Amino acid sequence: MAENLPPPTPAPAEAAPPAAGASRPAGRGRRALPYLLAAPAWLWLALFFLVPICSMLSISLMSGDLYQGYVLTWEFGNYADAVATYWRQLARSLAYGGCATLLCLAVGYPVAYWIAFRGGAYKNTYLLLLLLPMFVSFVLRTISWKALLADEGVVLGPLKDIGLLPEAAHVLNTAPAVVLGLAYNFLPFMVLPVYAVLERMDHRVVEAAQDLYAGRVRAFVSVVLPMSLPGVFAGVIMTFIPTSADYINAQVLGGAHNTMVGKIIESQYLVNNAYPMAAAITFVLMAVLLAGIFSYARALGTEQVMEVQAR
Amino acid sequence: MASTTGPGTAAAERTGQQQDAVPAIALEGVSKTYRSGGEQVAAVRGVDLEIGQGEFFSLLGPSGCGKTTTMRMVAGFEEPTGGTVRLKGADVTGVPPHRRDVNMVFQSYALFPHMSVFDNIAFGLRRKGVPAAEVRRRVGEAVELVELTGRERTRPTRLSGGQQQRVALARALVNRPSALLLDEPLAALDLKLRQSMQMELKRIQRDVGITFVYVTHDQGEALTLSDRIAVMNGGLVEQLGTPQEVYERPATRFTAGFIGTSNLLSGEVTASSGGVIEVRTGGGAVRAAGSAALGERVEITVRPEKITLAAGAVEPGACELPGTVIEAVYLGSTTHYTVAADGDDGTEIVLHQQNTAGPAEAARRGDRVRLTWRPDQSYVLPR
Amino acid sequence: MPGMKRAAPRPFPEPHCEENRSVSRTDPALLRGLTRTRPSRRTVLGASALAMVLSACGVRGQAAEELSGADFWEGKESSGKLSFANWPLYMDAERTQLKEFTEATGIEVDYDEAVAENKSFFGKVRPKLADGDSIGYDLMVLSTGVELTELMALNYLAPLDHMKMPNFDAYAGQRYKNATYDQGNRFTVPYASGITGIAYNPKYVDREITGIADLWDPEFKGKVGMMADAQEASNFALLLDGVEPGGSGKKDWEKAVSRLEEQREAGIVRRYYEQDYIQPLTNGDLWISMAWSGDVFQQNAEEGTELEFIVPEEGGTLWSDLMMIPYTAKNPVDAIMLMDFLYEPRIAAGLTEYINFIPPVPEAHQEIKEKAEAASGDEKEALEELADSPLVFPSDEDYTRLHDYVPLGAAELKEFTSMFLAVTQA
Repeated sequence: MAENLPPPTPAPAEAAPPAAGASRPAGRGRRALPYLLAAPAWLWLALFFLVPICSMLSISLMSGDLYQGYVLTWEFGNYADAVATYWRQLARSLAYGGCATLLCLAVGYPVAYWIAFRGGAYKNTYLLLLLLPMFVSFVLRTISWKALLADEGVVLGPLKDIGLLPEAAHVLNTAPAVVLGLAYNFLPFMVLPVYAVLERMDHRVVEAAQDLYAGRVRAFVSVVLPMSLPGVFAGVIMTFIPTSADYINAQVLGGAHNTMVGKIIESQYLVNNAYPMAAAITFVLMAVLLAGIFSYARALGTEQVMEVQAR
Repeated sequence: MASTTGPGTAAAERTGQQQDAVPAIALEGVSKTYRSGGEQVAAVRGVDLEIGQGEFFSLLGPSGCGKTTTMRMVAGFEEPTGGTVRLKGADVTGVPPHRRDVNMVFQSYALFPHMSVFDNIAFGLRRKGVPAAEVRRRVGEAVELVELTGRERTRPTRLSGGQQQRVALARALVNRPSALLLDEPLAALDLKLRQSMQMELKRIQRDVGITFVYVTHDQGEALTLSDRIAVMNGGLVEQLGTPQEVYERPATRFTAGFIGTSNLLSGEVTASSGGVIEVRTGGGAVRAAGSAALGERVEITVRPEKITLAAGAVEPGACELPGTVIEAVYLGSTTHYTVAADGDDGTEIVLHQQNTAGPAEAARRGDRVRLTWRPDQSYVLPR
Repeated sequence: MPGMKRAAPRPFPEPHCEENRSVSRTDPALLRGLTRTRPSRRTVLGASALAMVLSACGVRGQAAEELSGADFWEGKESSGKLSFANWPLYMDAERTQLKEFTEATGIEVDYDEAVAENKSFFGKVRPKLADGDSIGYDLMVLSTGVELTELMALNYLAPLDHMKMPNFDAYAGQRYKNATYDQGNRFTVPYASGITGIAYNPKYVDREITGIADLWDPEFKGKVGMMADAQEASNFALLLDGVEPGGSGKKDWEKAVSRLEEQREAGIVRRYYEQDYIQPLTNGDLWISMAWSGDVFQQNAEEGTELEFIVPEEGGTLWSDLMMIPYTAKNPVDAIMLMDFLYEPRIAAGLTEYINFIPPVPEAHQEIKEKAEAASGDEKEALEELADSPLVFPSDEDYTRLHDYVPLGAAELKEFTSMFLAVTQA
């Protein structure tokens, strides 16, 4: 999340009394400098975000086929088709992403809390341990879960042997497997922002709450939790967006009923060559995610989030 | 170290309490050891203290002396590894902080940034289940006491450092604790603000009559505010007494050096009778209060403002030491001199002279001078 | 080969970008708007600029101009080198066959295991082919499937000159000439082939498996693997109802789709697999699955598993990985020489020993048998296993039950894949 910025102060060039002689051009140059420094970033954004987004937007409104080419005909029907045909996969993606995000929060918050408040001198070590799996390719990590969750594998096998699970039970290729995989893969995206906020928090506020007759639980609920909300907000966004758009987990760990919308986009693009359809689904997904985030920010109280963050 | 002086008489008079009343806070042989990297580190090594009701009590010492740890053991954030903590006579050792009737003002203020000033101050009352109307009334009083009326709805992050300090104070005071613990509360403020807040604290303490335990490393602050001071060093109380006692009669070399400026002169005892000894220093013989064996090497101390530059003949019975001015710093109302005493032990003596005479009389660098002071204003330091 | 000219979609050599831009400049609606409501200059500029930006990035038609064989090969000569894109594990690490080729012809081969998947490889090279640029390879191997249909429909492949391919004419098996997907081998010749059939693990399945109907058996609920590829899945659903995939039409597809849906909704299908079904089949996550013969042979040979593979009684499909020359190849003569060289029975036998797929050269069988007789010990055993395997050398009876891939026309393709992807990506 945002840095701890001091309140805006007048630029030194302006605050200082005007120096003798012709310092005006120098002053103007200095004022332009920040913009110049930011120029590469703007150029980068324009080139690799704005241009592709515009071209995708135009493609989503085209009609035609691979052989004749696709022509911009303002075919808004593509969007209606996309929603009508793939609303199931879309809804499923949001549901899986939401479940995975909640799971990440449930698992990740205590982890972040523990490292920030109890990590002591080993905080960095714990963080490194948390990130260690990230050094292995995402796909490989997910594939290794297949062995873990196999019907006769290390987890289910013994449970079946002692009769805790029926012989026919399986986890792999089911929705829970997908959600578990998503939560596992994106856990650090939840832990890190929450950790950053908890770590930066003045730990004395907890003592202050305890000093003011709040027990441990009460101190957490009244003070730590509300103060960490900006981190939770960031974590939820950083987890929900990629988990909803992910399709590797659904493909590797899912079954015949777990296709997520990312996979649809991929196959519309690569298998069907239906570029307009692929682009239209992409924008629908984007719109749904953006709408979700905005209403979420609303519900959580942006003012408050920003305020605490500004501290 | 047993308390040699009872709770501050001024405080006792003010609150109308007897000296033998139950102390607000009592520490009995309290110690604290930490384990750090496999080593046992003693932060506090057996402290005995009794702090009276309504007293303004300071724990003074350099950083690492154990004063903050001592206070945190009173608050309940640290558990002593030995000894007993009593609040109003009741043993609270092992009782968690939220069940102790003391409140703390933190150095960083530790205000809740997500709550308004009102909610910050109301926090403790609400936890105690005080009815809403009562909460409103008492918070209103507290806000008035710290002169923040009209800022109740503001977030603490929008307040200045001094205002935040007042909120922290109000947040603790509003609960009417049996003692208020202040951990270097003014350290983050600039000099001007610090001085006005000192007066403010004194006023508030007088108004509410609550026991204040004040942790500081600033001797000036401690002297200004306190009824009594405990000077701490290395996990032990070096000296306990009123500001005057601690300043005028430092019990140890550490106290003498830590509180104000002290001149130390060492020499051999050549005579001792009736609580006065004579010591032969490199620059000449001086007398001081105290007792010591003949022939013993001792250190005596004398404060800079007790020394004067002798213009003519010295008072009868006064000490006299010749020397050469090596530095003279003019400070307006006073001039600070550094004088090299005669003799080969290189003793330098600092003195503060009131500028009562005109500039013509002022000594300059290189001038030969005679230093003089009354023997009862210098003391033998215990070895 | 003028007589073999196919009806191909009319190529659009004109880039569409240009056309679009000129259209938006003279858009009558826009002109009318200008004279009637007089919107501010700024709005008009903004709107037309946006329209320009949007339409400027149109995707133009990607077909290249159709080439006749004579036109293509005229004036082309061997340059002494070529570059070859193939699948991983499709030639031994020493590249024995390429060394022999270089020895025999002096042509150096730059070999690259660049093809991991049909669609991603095709996706990568398509823009270059559309622009008429070299893709960096003179010879490539892609599987029978939708990409092949597209490559041919877009005229991206060099028409083969059979005068330059004596080995192919002499040694290629009848089954591998004149396949339905490429009549007369105008553009492609097989590199290796395999059967799409049914594999099962006898550790879990204790009855005999005979056909596709077993994949619909509720007894194996949650333990059945199907293939994700639209064509593979549809072939089996069609064959289940006795429909020949080659002659199928939309009515048949609809029925096949409902067959597949019924199988999925009954919870019988565990997952639609891209290519990773063999491990689940080994460890019991799957009991029975659609499978490729080569995978099963390799798994049994290398892991010592005892997976069974059958050609279903309703029929299976014979797929091929095909060698082809992109029409932008820099060294097509060298490429066609290598293509033909790999049809020498001894060379084909060498390849088969390593890759364990079905060679398009029947005489390779004899070569391997002879080699097995001459060999001894482990090597003899391995060669005998290979020579005796019906997975590598299918019997004539098996062959009669094998169908070629459905050569879908470009026009049908979109509808077909949409219909079947809706099943496998529910």
